[in-house]
Amino acid sequence: MKLFGKKSKEVVYTRYSGTGSGLSAWRETIEKLMQPEGKPETLDDILVIDVSQGNFAGIIAASLFAEFGAEVIKIEPPQGDPARWMTPFGKTAAGVGIPFIVEGRNKRYMTLDLPNSARDRQIFGQLAQKAAVVIETCPAGQMDGWGIGYRQISVSNPGLVYITITPYGQYSHQAEACAGMPDTDITTQAGSGLSAQMGDMATAPEPFNWPLKAGMWMGWYLSGLSAALGGTVALYHRQRTGEGQMVDVAGMDAYAAITGMPVAVGYTWENARPRIGVLDFILYPYGHWKCKDGYVAIAAPRDHDFRALVKILGLWGWTGKFENDWRYTSDRIPDLLEQAMRLHRQIEAKTMRYTADELVSRALNYARKAARSKWRGGGVPIIMKVMTPEKALAHKQWKERNSFKEIEDPALGKVIVTAGFVKMSESPPRIKWISCDIGKDDEYVRSKYGLPRAHTAEAP
Amino acid sequence: MNDYFRYAQAQLDPAKINEKTEALKGIRVLDFTHVIFGPTVTRILADYGAEVIKLEVPFYGDMWRISTYWGRYWKHSNPTFHFITRNKYFVSVDLKRPESKELIYKMAAEADVVAENFAPGTAEAWGVGYSRISQINPRVVYLSCSTYGQYGPMRYFPGWDLLAQAASGVLSLNGHPATEKFYKLPDYLGDFIPGNVGALAVLMALYYRNKSGKGQYIDLSQTESLMRALPHFTYHGLTGEPLERTGHSDPAMMAAAIYKTRDGRHLALACATLPHFAALCRAMARPDLPADPRFATYLEGLKEPNAGALRDIVARWVAATDAAAVLEAACREGFAAAEVLDDKQVCHDPWRRERGSVLLFNDDMYGEFALPGPSAMLSRTPGRTKWLARPLGYHNRLVLRKFLGLSEEELNALEEKKVIGTFDDKPGLKPPVYYHLDSDPIYNYGRKAAP
Repeated sequence: MKLFGKKSKEVVYTRYSGTGSGLSAWRETIEKLMQPEGKPETLDDILVIDVSQGNFAGIIAASLFAEFGAEVIKIEPPQGDPARWMTPFGKTAAGVGIPFIVEGRNKRYMTLDLPNSARDRQIFGQLAQKAAVVIETCPAGQMDGWGIGYRQISVSNPGLVYITITPYGQYSHQAEACAGMPDTDITTQAGSGLSAQMGDMATAPEPFNWPLKAGMWMGWYLSGLSAALGGTVALYHRQRTGEGQMVDVAGMDAYAAITGMPVAVGYTWENARPRIGVLDFILYPYGHWKCKDGYVAIAAPRDHDFRALVKILGLWGWTGKFENDWRYTSDRIPDLLEQAMRLHRQIEAKTMRYTADELVSRALNYARKAARSKWRGGGVPIIMKVMTPEKALAHKQWKERNSFKEIEDPALGKVIVTAGFVKMSESPPRIKWISCDIGKDDEYVRSKYGLPRAHTAEAP
Repeated sequence: MNDYFRYAQAQLDPAKINEKTEALKGIRVLDFTHVIFGPTVTRILADYGAEVIKLEVPFYGDMWRISTYWGRYWKHSNPTFHFITRNKYFVSVDLKRPESKELIYKMAAEADVVAENFAPGTAEAWGVGYSRISQINPRVVYLSCSTYGQYGPMRYFPGWDLLAQAASGVLSLNGHPATEKFYKLPDYLGDFIPGNVGALAVLMALYYRNKSGKGQYIDLSQTESLMRALPHFTYHGLTGEPLERTGHSDPAMMAAAIYKTRDGRHLALACATLPHFAALCRAMARPDLPADPRFATYLEGLKEPNAGALRDIVARWVAATDAAAVLEAACREGFAAAEVLDDKQVCHDPWRRERGSVLLFNDDMYGEFALPGPSAMLSRTPGRTKWLARPLGYHNRLVLRKFLGLSEEELNALEEKKVIGTFDDKPGLKPPVYYHLDSDPIYNYGRKAAP
């Protein structure tokens, strides 16, 4: 089966999605509507100062503002932000760590030695008077102690939105007792409830049954996203009233505050879920299986999806009583772990017979027919190849949507970065540059915002 | 310093949240979304004061109403549904009936935001897509949520959180290197993350609308939201090598891994800078390590085999130390450490209660329930919880009579034709059995009291 029909003859896999020339025309309209070039930027009236140190939650929050068009000035010590050297296996390009390059997008870079120079602290205070947003990740109270915290700056800049990111926040006994503790991704994952839910079952050998770290900076991404979201609510309020405020993010909240699941389960079950490997607590089948040439993810959690899956895998009639057995109505399968594990093995025995492409085609074929048939109950069993990032990078879908952008940077050469993580018709986010040399925009910032020249600058 | 914490406490005091302004007061959201992804977008808007009207199919409702962990209901409701749909108005309208269109268009004309997460094409086919709604209301911010996006060759592919994790590469990355053991991100993070990205995009669009007077269309793909979190593409492009899964450790930070303590607990530990590393060495009583050439610079400390050697040293120290002692040393010396906390610990953590990031909420219908607070605490316009989820169609009368001005006769006619409806006798859809719905003034809004 051909997976990609021509534009005019698209294949529809779900029951109510319409077809016809009207929709195809609409698709092309959307595609044109979503091109970012030449459009206005949402935050072109906003100045953001990012003084986060060694903390990608702060850097990511600043990036999100920068992608939406704010002028973002990253302030680092003369030797550079320690975040520049946080990079997998110590791999760098032109001396800069790869995550820092990814988040270098659209920012201005300036150096100030806040811990050691009273003059630089004063310059920061001057610049902050013009800012709409300050992002900092210092120990709680440190900026305040230096006289450049929210309390002091907001006296004459009442519209300031002041974002702090620390492990335990800016208030409470714990925040005070652990004010000196730095915020990192892995401790955020562990302390906010994410790690406890990942890993193999208790019966697996050590260390596979240990809690696991997500393979990307998920803790920092969640904190950064929370900071940008809270900050944008504050900017919206500022736009209407002129009032600024404090926005306080605690890294240890990241996962629990975003998903709500640990709290709901901890409160209603009064217990902790064990780790259950590749299974799911609520939905089944909902996970990945090995196949002939790799792995597929399978989601068929509604009853009619599940029955459809059983049919396309040739499992119908396996127990002889799928249709009548209450245990195999799909919303009851996860209730009993033994049963879910048994079924998991049965499905794997079948998926191993096919290649990923064959399985994907079978599922899509079924869904396509079911969508147009009143007899098939609209079942949409979904099978998708498990992609590595390298495979995703090469995929046609993301090429067509410009989800990645190749940027030619004078220092770094050709660099591929994620771009356009959300498409908007009028004021979309975009990536303009990624260059991030230490202090590269010092002159620009000082002259634009009327700041004194740096001590280190040589006399003409 | 003490003075600062008192100042911050006064600014951010969780006990005073309900006295403060709501940033999005007056923003109306027409919410066609279901399950987790879309509803998270509108839940966040509702937390900050937007009036969210959630539309569901009569007698059946949002699929997530009946999707609870291990089939456990709480007071005949799904405990995981409350957080996802708190603070919303629950209206039950059958979109497939042509009579519903008039209601929908009337609501859409008044709405600032419209959100949907049907399979791409569905909203257009039903006449509630952007092409139609923007004619009725050109200033509307219209958000379409999907797994792969509204255009591109895969746009009609069906999807869920899991498929976005598979398509983005995220699923392949959580687990142990050189094994077949890998796991999805738990608890539908592939829905919750894009949900937060969607709320960010809607807020940006509202901000832009205040400046320009223009609404816009937002095409949010959950796969792209997940890809945004991966430096792996750039890593691959620059080094020519894949960045694969790395088990318990973080290859980008010194000493960063999950370790097991002497008392059998798990904790994460990491050094973000060389001074943090020096702090860890003090705690381990290893003053020789900072001078070791393998760890002399941060980048050297990340290269193999140095990084592995360092993790082994730390693992031996942690294995000979109790968790409490490691955490105390981290606070005292200044490096990052945190115990791996499970559901129960997170829910009952005294610090979270004090901060307001886990709150005990007293609801008119359900009584006491624990919910997460906002993910960021705002001092002037904080997010808040006003009510929990409600039974299907609970706000039908309030919304249709009060907000839309329908008469009792019109309401009855719609009910008779099954254009609107309420719950069936199913857990997840109905109120708690002991709840006296007859005397509920909101459910019975505008109904004449029985004599």
